[in-house]
Amino acid sequence: MSEVNQKRRDFLAFSGKAGVATLVAQAAGINLGIVDVVKAEAGGKVDPFRFAIISDAHLYSMDDHKFDQQLIDAVNKVNNMNPMPDFVLFGGDVAQNGTEDQLVKGQKILSELKMPMKIIPGEHDWYLDMGEAWRGLFGDETWSFDHKGVHFIGLNSILVEDFWTPAGLSPKERMTVMEMLESPIPGPWGVHEKQLEWLAKDVKDLAPSTPIVIFTHSPLWDYYPRWNFQTSDAPEIREILSKFDNVMSYHGHVHQTLYNRIGNMSSVAAMSTSWPWPYPPVELAYPETRMNRADPSIATDGQGVQLIDLSESFEGLVQYKPFEDSLTPFMQDGFKV
Amino acid sequence: MKTRIAIRRALGLGGIAAATVVASTVFARPPFTEEELAAQMDSLYEVIQVGYDLWHGSEPKMTSNGLACANCHPDTAASNPQTFPKYMTMYGKVVPWQEMVNWCIENPQLGERFDPQSDEMTAMKAYAMYLHRGLPIEPGLASEQTAAVPVAFGTGFKREPTGLGVDTREYVPERR
Repeated sequence: MSEVNQKRRDFLAFSGKAGVATLVAQAAGINLGIVDVVKAEAGGKVDPFRFAIISDAHLYSMDDHKFDQQLIDAVNKVNNMNPMPDFVLFGGDVAQNGTEDQLVKGQKILSELKMPMKIIPGEHDWYLDMGEAWRGLFGDETWSFDHKGVHFIGLNSILVEDFWTPAGLSPKERMTVMEMLESPIPGPWGVHEKQLEWLAKDVKDLAPSTPIVIFTHSPLWDYYPRWNFQTSDAPEIREILSKFDNVMSYHGHVHQTLYNRIGNMSSVAAMSTSWPWPYPPVELAYPETRMNRADPSIATDGQGVQLIDLSESFEGLVQYKPFEDSLTPFMQDGFKV
Repeated sequence: MKTRIAIRRALGLGGIAAATVVASTVFARPPFTEEELAAQMDSLYEVIQVGYDLWHGSEPKMTSNGLACANCHPDTAASNPQTFPKYMTMYGKVVPWQEMVNWCIENPQLGERFDPQSDEMTAMKAYAMYLHRGLPIEPGLASEQTAAVPVAFGTGFKREPTGLGVDTREYVPERR
């Protein structure tokens, strides 16, 4: 057995066992602590199904921009899955500059999906008009629903403290600041108090055995705060959800394949349909879940969509479906969470 | 006989070395003063910040589809300046880092290339090299992603935001 396959086997065995291992999840030099990895037997029964994730289209205003076609390709890829996913989650950043025309273009392309879609916003969708156009097109940004025994939750994780009023910035200047991934101006993103209260209320009456999927734009762990690869109140979210046996977190924003686990929560990132981002300079707990370095001469390398199959015992098989040959051998058949 | 020749050679070399030391003492430029060094670093930082602006789309001619260098290379990550010159498949030959930047400007960004010797290119290289300071120089390393140095949250370049590329509602340059 090759080293890669051995590592893969170890990883699958590790991630599939119940409460037998501990890990130190490290990111950006921050020790997140030694935590129990509890893959509990889900008491709640799931009627097995699959769902897909499309994320980070970053559409521009001009006609026939290459990102338009890449989102169309993603929609076609999902529509041609067999069996078809029950629904699609869109992980935020439909638009690049947050303009209504970009959001409308995205909605039009996504309306070609043959299955229902739920969506949460990204920062590129939001800060031109503070979500007004987005809400008009897509509805509430905070939601939950139940599907075949699983409780799905969506939160808006890109909220920041008001930096624009004291600085006297126009809406366009505010948006421009938010468009820059590494801008030091906006501060860390989060879901903020109102959504934390909503979340606590939403799950209050659910049994610990209820399978939970939570969906946000940014990751619910400190990956690389410099690029807002984090959610500032993720510890509070994890605390609220700590009573559940097993929680799956899926997120956009990072434009790359990635897995992590903290306590009862697994975390899976989505590839984008626009461009891939390099892995930031931090140690990963599961470096084997990285994709190949994207080749810039192949315009759609390192991009794609995701497919998740949930089993009766709420085990998820995560399969990245890239546009090109972007996955390492370890990742090509998917991995279990 | 052999011993005498060896002694003469040794004396000759020693004489040259001694002369060099004397000449250095007399003719070498005195070390820079702290003020001079500070002024030099200020000049460098100014150029680095111009590079930061260009990287984030301050020059519209660098793009006709709205994309800037920083779309794909935040903090210049994976631009790998310390690995150039190296063989690039798109050129079929070894090229310098500046040529790779021009490739990105002309292809993913559909913009106009810079003269590799231009002030703009120097500024972008200064910015990228600054964020890769301390990393080993490894010409030719191409199969692995390399990352820039970690940058703490809330630090960096507090310049006026330039945005990423252009706002396509207001600026649509001619297509190539």
